[in-house]
Amino acid sequence: MIARRWSILFVLLLASAARGELQIEINQGVENPTPIAVVPFAWQGVGSAPEDVAQIVDSDLARSGQFSPVSRRDMLSYPTRESELFFRDWRAISAEYVLIGRVSVGSQARIDFQVFDTTRQEAVADGTVTGPVTELRMLAHRVSDSVYETLTGIPGAFATRLLYVSVTRNPDGKDFYRLTLADADGRRPIVLLEGRDPILSPAWSPNGTEVAYVSFETSRPAIYRQNLRTGEREQLTNFKGLNNSPAWSPDGNSMALVLSKDGNPDVYLLNLKSRALTRLTRHFAIDTEPTWMPDGKSLLFTSDRGGRPQIYRYDLRTQKIERVTFEGPYNARARVAQDGRNVALVHQRNGRYHIAVFDLVTDRLTVLTETSLDESPSIAPNGSIVLYATKRGEDSILGAVAVDGGVRFSLPARQGSVQEPAWSPYVTP
Amino acid sequence: MRVLPIKPASFAGFLLLGVLPVIAQDFVDVEAERRAATQPPLEESSSVAPATSYTGIQPYSGSTTVAQPPIEATTPITGTDSGSLMLRVQQLEADVRQLNGLLEEATQALRLLEAQSLERYVDLDRRLAAGSDAVVEGGAGSADAVMAPIASEAPTAGREVDAQEGEEAAYRAAYELVREREFDDAVEAFTEFLANFPFGRYAPNAHYWLGELYLVLDPPDPELARQNFKLLLDQYPADPKVPDALYKLGRVQFIKGNRQRSREYLDEVIREYPSHAAAQLARQFLLENF
Repeated sequence: MIARRWSILFVLLLASAARGELQIEINQGVENPTPIAVVPFAWQGVGSAPEDVAQIVDSDLARSGQFSPVSRRDMLSYPTRESELFFRDWRAISAEYVLIGRVSVGSQARIDFQVFDTTRQEAVADGTVTGPVTELRMLAHRVSDSVYETLTGIPGAFATRLLYVSVTRNPDGKDFYRLTLADADGRRPIVLLEGRDPILSPAWSPNGTEVAYVSFETSRPAIYRQNLRTGEREQLTNFKGLNNSPAWSPDGNSMALVLSKDGNPDVYLLNLKSRALTRLTRHFAIDTEPTWMPDGKSLLFTSDRGGRPQIYRYDLRTQKIERVTFEGPYNARARVAQDGRNVALVHQRNGRYHIAVFDLVTDRLTVLTETSLDESPSIAPNGSIVLYATKRGEDSILGAVAVDGGVRFSLPARQGSVQEPAWSPYVTP
Repeated sequence: MRVLPIKPASFAGFLLLGVLPVIAQDFVDVEAERRAATQPPLEESSSVAPATSYTGIQPYSGSTTVAQPPIEATTPITGTDSGSLMLRVQQLEADVRQLNGLLEEATQALRLLEAQSLERYVDLDRRLAAGSDAVVEGGAGSADAVMAPIASEAPTAGREVDAQEGEEAAYRAAYELVREREFDDAVEAFTEFLANFPFGRYAPNAHYWLGELYLVLDPPDPELARQNFKLLLDQYPADPKVPDALYKLGRVQFIKGNRQRSREYLDEVIREYPSHAAAQLARQFLLENF
């Protein structure tokens, strides 16, 4: 066996990973984004502020495509308290809303903020977020979540994280893989695992503290789980043949996965406590890519038992399998939104692979993307955005599109390719 | 196969791994497997079950039951026959997959047809119930726009507002113009009616008809139609015509090119009034246009 050099880098040990870092480019916003002024927050601490909290919120809101933040240069004043706020100043620069706030740091970091409607001249939201000083960026994202929810009625998904695999080519012409964890804005990337062997199918545990993935670091693909806090890592499977597509159940107690140990790929259920393995599908066709319905009572998976890949549903109680998608020759790699209604999937139309959303209630399929080699959709925990991998030139990049088709942005890596995105669940603060 | 990077590997895996051990391995009985699974380490076992443990073929338990090809697991495949037998098995599996797909699709097509015929029946039933006077066949070269004159002519029963003097007569007169296909005059009459009896018992009906009429005028005026349907929605949210108005708003927005808004309205009818005839029409419209 060839000796392989593997390093698992834990959260705290890691200084920088610029190569895995994503940039964000907004391609399309809504037609009339709401103008909002995010005034620089007051800093109440020693020295200079470690993060420009207002700038983080400003970027979050801009990235949503639904807001057009006012440039700081156009602001006539920088109020940080209600008493310093003059509405006419803000109406003069056509800001519909003004966000002001204060950041203080003691044993914990604390951000107080208020949102004002400049027409009605009143506060529409105020709040406080507190947390560890090292998580100031995450606290800023929580301010964004709160502001976004107040003004749009939809919970924000800024204070979340992304998992993805970045691939760079070494000077010797061989690919180098990094399983990377970053904030939802692409910042603070941390490499969880890197090496010359492919890494596939990263998946989140429902509470966001663990991840699972497939690594080829031994001679064959195997599924691993890794704790993000402790760095502890465990190999879960080591069967002959394929071991792939881990999908944590919503209660966190079991994991659906695909094994080909009995001949061809079928979906299995692994109880993470007892380690009992149950075979769910039994068919000579390929059954793969399981994903859970949010109620944990059934699974969707891809199967070509009908001749071509389509989405099927497996009911855990009745053990019945029914076909879900009928439109088009190819529907695969389903991911269900938290509402249990929208399913993001890869859909083939005119020989091109697009990301589409299938509505389980109306049975309607809507194609969201215009690019042609889209894969690996992952839905934001608020159900509003689908993240996916697509091609730009030689490299693969991440794209994001709103479920209603309105907003689009892309997240290319600064260097190399990025693929297999997985958007984290909401993590209880 | 770029989209699903696992697939090529899967197929390759199927071909490579499947060739010899497939028969013995593929039909291991569930109980034996569960017993095996309770043993702790998930190391690869030599998972080829002895032929004696074979207890029968598990039928595929999908919604369309397809029995698996009868393979005599006790019959050993030996010698030069195994290659050709495997080829035949693979060919049969491919055929079964294809047939299974056709059957699934035919079942689904049948399901849709049943839903559609139910919908037609409901529509017909409603027309008959509404009596001949509610039937406005496609007007002014725009049959589709007046499709399903949903408004049952009788004004809302149980509304607490009593008809004012002359209101009913004025409404009837306006409605008579619709029946006579004098659409321009009918618009005028309903507009005048609303000016005289803005809060009358028949006001929601009048708005509804104005909405319908603006769609069949030549040229149609979808914006005014939209305003009337929307007004009905906003001012009489409990009126029985609300589902119909929602459906019509879906169509109007579609005509205006606002597919997103259109879908929202149609979704709303289906969600809020799933068993109402308007929901059936909305489903149909979605099927045909989205």
